[in-house]
Amino acid sequence: MAQVYFEDVKVGDEVPQLKKNCSTQQLVLWAAGSGDFYQIHYDKDFAQRTGLKGLIVHGALKNAFLGQLLHDWAGEKGHVRKFGCAYRGMDEPDQDILCRGVVTKTYQDGGKNYVELDVWTEKPDGAKTSPGTAVVTLPSKN
Amino acid sequence: MTQEAKQSVITDEMRAVVGVEGAAATLEVEKTNCRMFARSVGHTDPIFYDEDAAKARGYRSIVAPPGFLGTPIFNPSRPPGAPGEMGGRGYSIPYKRVLNGGTEYEYFPENDVICAGDTITARSKVTGFEEREGSLGPMLITTRETAYTNQHGKLVAKMYGTVIQY
Amino acid sequence: MAEEFQITDEMRAQIGKESEPWEYEVTTTSVRMYARGIGSDDPIHYDVDFAKSQGFRSIVAPLGYIGTPVFLPGKNDPTFGFPRREGGPRLNIPFRGLLDGGTETEYFDVICAGDTLVETSHLADLKLRESGRPMLFVTNEAVYKNKETGKVVAKQRLTSIHM
Repeated sequence: MAQVYFEDVKVGDEVPQLKKNCSTQQLVLWAAGSGDFYQIHYDKDFAQRTGLKGLIVHGALKNAFLGQLLHDWAGEKGHVRKFGCAYRGMDEPDQDILCRGVVTKTYQDGGKNYVELDVWTEKPDGAKTSPGTAVVTLPSKN
Repeated sequence: MTQEAKQSVITDEMRAVVGVEGAAATLEVEKTNCRMFARSVGHTDPIFYDEDAAKARGYRSIVAPPGFLGTPIFNPSRPPGAPGEMGGRGYSIPYKRVLNGGTEYEYFPENDVICAGDTITARSKVTGFEEREGSLGPMLITTRETAYTNQHGKLVAKMYGTVIQY
Repeated sequence: MAEEFQITDEMRAQIGKESEPWEYEVTTTSVRMYARGIGSDDPIHYDVDFAKSQGFRSIVAPLGYIGTPVFLPGKNDPTFGFPRREGGPRLNIPFRGLLDGGTETEYFDVICAGDTLVETSHLADLKLRESGRPMLFVTNEAVYKNKETGKVVAKQRLTSIHM
């Protein structure tokens, strides 16, 4: 992705979308990567015994997807200062998860260029499963 | 202001905990766990995998991906919930069910960027208790803040967490 | 066709071809994770101070853990993690089934957290077993050297079964 500059960003701009689709293998990789070995994410029998329909994607993994969305957009010269989301809706493996972000505010403060965004993950039917916000700093063109 | 539920579960013991920092926990950031986290998310930026690429971009070593703050030191000889273990609670709540309400990460790159080779000290505190009546019934919402400082004493990150018990 | 599979001369010619080296890293987090994975509670694998008091550099890698290969997307197999290297044997195996046929490890030194090992391997043997469905046994031999000292710390003989 080419470096994005503060001057080129305005409220309402959408960042390039990031499409994810977790295989059950990815959920196991995430367990290893995050240290969260809760069985509802890889043991279907266990998940169903807790009342779930089947395996679900970790909320924290979706949060990390939003981190990737922002990191890749901010580019080498940008920095992700803040990001997070609420784990509201459940997502399943082998289903598209679309990560999206929209600029809500741009301002300068203390010599830095700040961009605030709404970020979220979305199911194929458009339902938002993890709504959140982010703050990114971007370089100036000069 | 907080809406009082018919029977509040917030005790004086809990109120006393708000703002009080718990014991510090140590997290280690290394090349193997940075790569594992990055691989599990599906990151493609080589600074999360390749030391030479990270150094070429001005970093000390491989960079910790967004959301990765290190691995707590695991020792089976220490009981879970012991001082220094993340997540130990000093009080009990009558609600049996728990939901993770969400997590927010804040970074301070002007202080330092978290890289492989760092040892991070994490200190947590409850920042508030709130009771709400919702579609799930009466709920207790606990907000927590964890501050992460590196081996040079620099604040490198904060994590804000919300837990919903009902 | 899998049923008509035979080991060819071209395949046999791969035996002995040495791969390019690859680094395997042993870190405190990875040692603890492996120890935790096997269910060990020996503090020698978890507690750095304890390990040092016993005369080791750091926590000791449990037997069987030879470090984690450096993972670079596109360069390592995404499921098994092993590096797909430029040099080394090239086998086109038509079978879809894959089983771990076993690993034998010989140690020449203690491996501890903080070590970086440099591994080279070569194809050592190919055997086709024809009882029932054809099964191809592929054996590799790997040598692990400590990157800093250059000394051989371990050797492995690894067999995979393709069927």
